Amino acid sequence: MATLARPLPEEKGKRLMRPNIATADVQLPAVRDYEQVDREIIGTLHPTVAWFMGLGVAIFFLLIGIAAWCYQIYSGMGVAGYNPPVMWGVYIISFVFWVGIGHAGTLISAILYLFRAGFRTTIYRCAEAMTVFAVMTAGLFPILHLGRPWKFFYLIPYPNWRYIWPQFKSPLIWDVFAILTYLTVSSTFLYVGLIPDIAVLRDRETNPVRKRILAILSLGWRNSDREWRHFARAYLFLAAFSTPLVLSVHSVVSFDFAMALTPGWHTTIFPPYFVAGAIFSGIGMVLTIIIPLRKFFGLKHYVTINHLDAAAKLALFTSLIVGCAYMNEWFVAWFSGSEFEQAFFANRIWGQWWWASAILYTCNMILPLTLFSQRLRRNPTWLFIISITINIGMWFERFVIVVPSLSHEFEPWQWTSYRPTWVDYSILAGSFGWFSMWFMLFIKQLPVIAISEVKEIVPAKLRARHDHGIDASGHHLEFEPSTPGEFD
Amino acid sequence: MPGVIGAFHELDAAVRAIEELKKKRLGEVTVYTPTPRHEIEHAINAGPSPVRLFTLFGGLAGATCGYWIATWTSDYWPLVVGGKPVASWVPYTVFGFEVMVLFGALSTVVGLFINSRIPRLTMTVGYDPRFSHGDYGVWVECSPADAAAAESLLRENGAVEVRSER
Repeated sequence: MATLARPLPEEKGKRLMRPNIATADVQLPAVRDYEQVDREIIGTLHPTVAWFMGLGVAIFFLLIGIAAWCYQIYSGMGVAGYNPPVMWGVYIISFVFWVGIGHAGTLISAILYLFRAGFRTTIYRCAEAMTVFAVMTAGLFPILHLGRPWKFFYLIPYPNWRYIWPQFKSPLIWDVFAILTYLTVSSTFLYVGLIPDIAVLRDRETNPVRKRILAILSLGWRNSDREWRHFARAYLFLAAFSTPLVLSVHSVVSFDFAMALTPGWHTTIFPPYFVAGAIFSGIGMVLTIIIPLRKFFGLKHYVTINHLDAAAKLALFTSLIVGCAYMNEWFVAWFSGSEFEQAFFANRIWGQWWWASAILYTCNMILPLTLFSQRLRRNPTWLFIISITINIGMWFERFVIVVPSLSHEFEPWQWTSYRPTWVDYSILAGSFGWFSMWFMLFIKQLPVIAISEVKEIVPAKLRARHDHGIDASGHHLEFEPSTPGEFD
Repeated sequence: MPGVIGAFHELDAAVRAIEELKKKRLGEVTVYTPTPRHEIEHAINAGPSPVRLFTLFGGLAGATCGYWIATWTSDYWPLVVGGKPVASWVPYTVFGFEVMVLFGALSTVVGLFINSRIPRLTMTVGYDPRFSHGDYGVWVECSPADAAAAESLLRENGAVEVRSER
């Protein structure tokens, strides 16, 4: 995991190298013992005035969205600004946006777990919770997009008296299966990881009612070696399932577009392009959430600059992949020789939607290049600004995919425009309120940093000094890790 | 079941006590630890977790179910579209995969619950809230006749508190 970078000038004929400070050390030097971990992380659970205000704002936006949806149900889908043939607009854009947000959570909690990337330990709980709430938000949009939303269950294959089943060759049904599986597995993964931490809360709780609730939620967990052994194995398998799942979900979402013959959509690069974009947008949202959280919760010594630096590198890497996909789209349009494809891409850049494309390319390709600078990667204010621009850019990426294609298909007489209405904007604001409300409730009820996993990287108390390192057979000697504070 | 519980502040002391108890064969040893540690895992030397079997069979059942439901419902309404097969394995792989992941993940959790014996309504005898906080607990299940030997062994190895439970 440790990398060597930034060679220092040669000195006295000897070339010195120093480890990359972002990845070489994933320990938490300011966290001394288990008691400190419990005290500080559980200490974040006390509600504050600022938290109540934040929750109030989230619920306010949610109510705006609910009011707009009620108006839409009463008046019909026509109030949502659709203009045939542009019958997919803000709702489908937001659906793809929110599904994408969830992907970084699974990347950080599952994929980085399999790769043993140490920096995930203190940020994965936030990211995983973000995944669950983002997928919950995304799942609402196809229902919001239905003229008769109370009939949404027709999508689910269930035995019925009409003997009618869903069309399993339709990408929309693939979506239903992918999203429901993703929501179920992500929620399970989050809850299983929470069980030992809920047991810690249970054992420290003094209020009898809360203690009872926590006892039920912790399922009677008692930290025995038997439980940990099976837990570790189950957690590994859940991570192993989540890894291909996360790749499949956004691939399936991309099939909603790629299976159609519409210019700009019918391309084989969509699955990897969507997956990389999803992870990129999700990392943007992780940074948007984690940077204020570490400040307001006093957790800067848990989520250190090194952690932010590593997350910023992931953002930079995925930005480069996404940028490559954008350029590949232009190349494919040129190389295919298809006049429709070429006309569509010309329209995307110089046509009526040039401003949306400009926002997209600036936010997703150009601004993230600043993260090549180590100084900027280690500047939380700049990272926060970049994370916001990534969120904006990725929403516009989906706008540029959905709207220009539908408004500029094969027949010129079909060419049209699309203007979202106040209903679209209100429901979009409501989705942010819905997501934020769940997240605000989560951060004051359950630990935002995994207590038991942080304890794994905090040196255990020892009675005597032990040897460290690796023996002749390549096995680690016992009683790792060798870090300062071990004998304090 | 009667036994003796010893609480340790230090990891190496707990590990030494476990090794001694295993050598003396006083009874089955259970360790309570605030976080999983390789040192304890090596000292306990338990076999591989059978959770993997739950994962395997759950995954296989899910893949079968995913392909089956798509194929069976297609055959129920055998409409030929574009000259393609009524039951087409390529799109149905999406269902095979997704349902495999769903069933595999859920059966993994069932495997965790069954093997860890959770959910549990009452706390185990010998468990102490400090074992989720920072201390290590070593519980040895033994007859009252062996309790004295177990207690002295735990104390000799650095237990800060030892008590017999019945």
